[in-house]
Amino acid sequence: MEEGKILDIAHVSFLDMIKVMITMSGAANAKGTLIRNALSTADKIKEVSYDTFDDYLAAIENTTNPIAMIEGKSSHEGEHVFGLASCPFGPSIKNYMSVFEKMPDGYADFTAEFNKPSRVTDMYRVGEGAGVSPFCSVHQPMRSAVAEKITIDGKKIKIYQLGCKSGAGKKGFAEKWIDESGVSKDVVDKVLDNHMCCYFLKIVE
Amino acid sequence: MTKKDKKKRVLIVDDEEDMIWSLQKNLPNENLQVIIFTASSGEEALSILEKTKIDLIVTDIRMPGISGIDLLIAVRNTYPDIEVIVMTAFPSSESKAEVMEKGGLRFIEKPFDIKEMRDSVHSALKMDSHFEGKMTGIRLTDIVQIHHLSQASTVLRINDDGREGVIYFSEGTIVHATCDDLVGEEAFYKLMSFKGGTMETFYMDKFPESTISTPVDVLLLKGTLREDERDGNDDDLKDFDPELSPASEMLDEEGPPAAIYEPELEPINDEVYPAETNNEEKEEDMDELKELLTEFTNIPGVNTACLVGRDGFLLHSVALSGIDAEMIGAIASSGFGASEAMGKQLQKGGMSMTMVEYDNGPVMFSPVGSEAFLVIIADKDANLGMIRLKIKKHARDIEQKAGI
Repeated sequence: MEEGKILDIAHVSFLDMIKVMITMSGAANAKGTLIRNALSTADKIKEVSYDTFDDYLAAIENTTNPIAMIEGKSSHEGEHVFGLASCPFGPSIKNYMSVFEKMPDGYADFTAEFNKPSRVTDMYRVGEGAGVSPFCSVHQPMRSAVAEKITIDGKKIKIYQLGCKSGAGKKGFAEKWIDESGVSKDVVDKVLDNHMCCYFLKIVE
Repeated sequence: MTKKDKKKRVLIVDDEEDMIWSLQKNLPNENLQVIIFTASSGEEALSILEKTKIDLIVTDIRMPGISGIDLLIAVRNTYPDIEVIVMTAFPSSESKAEVMEKGGLRFIEKPFDIKEMRDSVHSALKMDSHFEGKMTGIRLTDIVQIHHLSQASTVLRINDDGREGVIYFSEGTIVHATCDDLVGEEAFYKLMSFKGGTMETFYMDKFPESTISTPVDVLLLKGTLREDERDGNDDDLKDFDPELSPASEMLDEEGPPAAIYEPELEPINDEVYPAETNNEEKEEDMDELKELLTEFTNIPGVNTACLVGRDGFLLHSVALSGIDAEMIGAIASSGFGASEAMGKQLQKGGMSMTMVEYDNGPVMFSPVGSEAFLVIIADKDANLGMIRLKIKKHARDIEQKAGI
């Protein structure tokens, strides 16, 4: 532990709590609990309708868009592909690392568990390789669930998580969702060069 | 005669050395002054019985060589005054135990508390002195139930005053029977009508043929009802173990019991997880999965069967109206995960079937593959042995149909 650093316990206790959850009830159950927690938060978001896709983008810009409210401003990279420059958990991870120098044990197992095919990740089109840390199991399903509260021109939208990048720069790709969305993997790779997270928004006809 | 000579003699038979050691060490106490003999096989037990007067035998049911059932039959035929307690991993409810006791047979469920075993031994030995010389032999229905519950693969031969019949068990299921010139179910019912005789079991690598597909509990119920009709009274119903069987109203000459027993159940998975790709194969698998889960809820007293991912998200369920299967799955996953984590911490290996008992009935859990587990919610008087058997029988199919 590095001396002279202030630990942001409001956030970093969550990081250690994940480790405790893994120890107490296994990675699969911990994953389920975090996803359930994320869905519970998403459930509190009010439904929003936008007349046009441009209105949707404008709402991101002024952070009134529910997705922007949970993760900050994302940028539209064209063809409904979005990039998020900063991971919402970045500051907490950075603070934790600055004090303890490494992330808690068990995170790799947890991340592998999140990337496994499962009904819940299928339902929200997340994971499948796009998980690079346990926080992805909170962020990605929460975004997908929030998207269910949004309509554009009266039509529902679906989010496909295409890829994510760890703090160390390692990229994770969700081949399944890349294939299903029809977005080129090269495009995802390029978006991740300058962003931490990449997703596709589909307007359901 | 010395005081020591008045002590009752108990023979413990089990191929698990730990069990023998534990009972030998812990069973006798101030209130239960007994002399313990031990045998690690049925053969050894018979050898001890030839040389030593034994008052009570406590035997495991599944042993290599002469099984607990073979031993039981031999004891009933040769030493009818000896009390027997059968240790089995397949639980029986109180009423089942009561029925069995009437036939001179006691069950104790493994694992058991030593106090529970002491009470059983104490009670058995007291009963012995009370009913000395008046014990009747074990009945065919008891033997059939024991074979069924222990999932035995064996052949049971019954002789009664020149008449002979054979029942073939494959993993506890009756697959074939012969009696005089009858074959199949009719042969079985004929055997059920035998009023006495001797029984022996033996092993056979291959059964001659398969002529019976009716579940054992239905066979027993039908057999008992036929006997009723024949005898013109209801007394024989006491021979039938209601705990092992679906309710009598489930008995259907035309089809399986499931056709009649229809509790207020609702499959809820489709609403929870709309299928992304609705191909026919998947739908068929889901239908079959529902059928498999319904096999559990068709057991009287079982009201909910859920298949839950290890992450706590429901994969499929047949749940009693009003039960939030989604929430049950999430909570069960925590309990299951915690129990598994404890096993890992204690280096006890993977988790197998387990049960949590509540005031109003048990909840059973069983892993299904490496990614899911079953949750079976039952009432207090549900037949736990039947649930366990169905879990063992269907776990692999469920895993396959759920694609996990």
